[in-house]
Amino acid sequence: MAELEGKRALVTGAAQGLGKAIATLFVERGAKVMISDIDEAGAKLAADELGESARAIRCDVTQEADHEAAVQATVDAFGGLDILVNNAGIEVVKPLFHHTEQEFDAIYNINVKGTWFGMRAAMAALPQPGGVIVNMASLAGLGGVPLFGAYSASKASVVQLTRCAATELKPMGIRINAVCPAFIATAMVDRLAPIVTEIVGVPFDDLAALKQGRVGTPQEVAEMVAFLASDESSWCTGGAYVLDGGLQAGML
Amino acid sequence: MAGLLQGKVAIITGAGKGIGKAIAEAYAGEGATVVVSDIDEGLAKETASRIPGASAIACDVRSEEQVKSLVDQTVAQHGGLQIMVPNAGIGRPVPLLNMDYEEWRAVTSVNLDGVFLCIRYGAPAIIASGGGAIVNICSITAQAGTPLIGHYSAAKAGVMSLTQTACQELRGQGVRVNAVLPGFVETEMVTSVKGDFERMLGFPEGQFDQVIAMKQGRYGKAEEVARMAVFLASDRSSFSNGSPFVLDGGCRASLL
Repeated sequence: MAELEGKRALVTGAAQGLGKAIATLFVERGAKVMISDIDEAGAKLAADELGESARAIRCDVTQEADHEAAVQATVDAFGGLDILVNNAGIEVVKPLFHHTEQEFDAIYNINVKGTWFGMRAAMAALPQPGGVIVNMASLAGLGGVPLFGAYSASKASVVQLTRCAATELKPMGIRINAVCPAFIATAMVDRLAPIVTEIVGVPFDDLAALKQGRVGTPQEVAEMVAFLASDESSWCTGGAYVLDGGLQAGML
Repeated sequence: MAGLLQGKVAIITGAGKGIGKAIAEAYAGEGATVVVSDIDEGLAKETASRIPGASAIACDVRSEEQVKSLVDQTVAQHGGLQIMVPNAGIGRPVPLLNMDYEEWRAVTSVNLDGVFLCIRYGAPAIIASGGGAIVNICSITAQAGTPLIGHYSAAKAGVMSLTQTACQELRGQGVRVNAVLPGFVETEMVTSVKGDFERMLGFPEGQFDQVIAMKQGRYGKAEEVARMAVFLASDRSSFSNGSPFVLDGGCRASLL
């Protein structure tokens, strides 16, 4: 039962972390995947691990020409593009007014403009109807998260871009959804855990256990992305789907 | 290849027809042992007879005794319970100021009290069986005012709140609780009241379909709701808990 059999996907930021887990699951489910990352060597390594069904390309998501080249490379390699996953993103963890202007701009350029460029470039190749876009937002895009001010705002932007694009592209039969994970066990969380622990004064793991039961796994996020990328979710568009172990549901 | 729900026992209320029936069929297709429950025993039996391995148990979800018995019988027959889908629901359009209290209670007792009873008696059996999932069939009307179905809409908002609280209380015991929020789905419950909506809202005939086309592209299919219900019952959604899962063709994404 390979739900993505024959689908051709482009996943940004896929050399590691969530993007790599998504690419891996997509290949398991029968898709061909173009692994896009600013780290070209990392992208190639990931593609080699996944074998025949994966290819790699360097892409700086702040550059529209890079997106266009990645879309073209996917079409050249696999004969088309059915699924775009805008996953590349960065974080800055510090009090909001300690962010530098460079940090603020980098977050917006990568997380927001990068997503917008990605969707725009994919329009040249996505089938109408039938094309699918999944944007990696965050639970931080649905609620304020102290120490993640610019990141949180950028992910809220991704959610709204998703809703607007879904509405505008509905007549073309292109579905666009956002995924909103809480803390997931990736290198990003490894980086930020000690910072959160130091500033909040509570061990990160204790905080995560209290709020979300446990830290989620990249495979769990990949499952949600695969569901939204497949025909299983044929009536889902413009949605923001949460995986947070119950964090958002709780008042305390 | 093993299905996503292989070896699980699932109860679906209101499964004689419509969305509940589609969920029962999809769950069975994924390897679950399905209990088709409905207030209409004949309908439950008929639906169950067409689903491999399924059995039928009549249940009025407004009755504490009957819900308790539904769970007890399921556990006695199948040795446990892993998945509960409180799906039974009713609704008919009535403006708030024409709605008598009896009408209000008729809808909220099925759509909200019934879900409470399913959680109240289903969750202990799921915990005793080693954990599992509750998938509440809610509605996008939980998220915004919906003219003429104030009782339905309020009950569904209650179901969303109940989903969140149950998630918090049951998280430590291995029970995940999520809600599916479909838009308007092409079922008898919706198609049979289109004319009533048009009349009461002063729409010309056929305009209800136009509003649906504008807001959600088309009517959803019961099978599409069922696929979401499969995802939420399966281990594929293992980190999702207490959340609304909207499927509405984009209706809620746009304010206009």
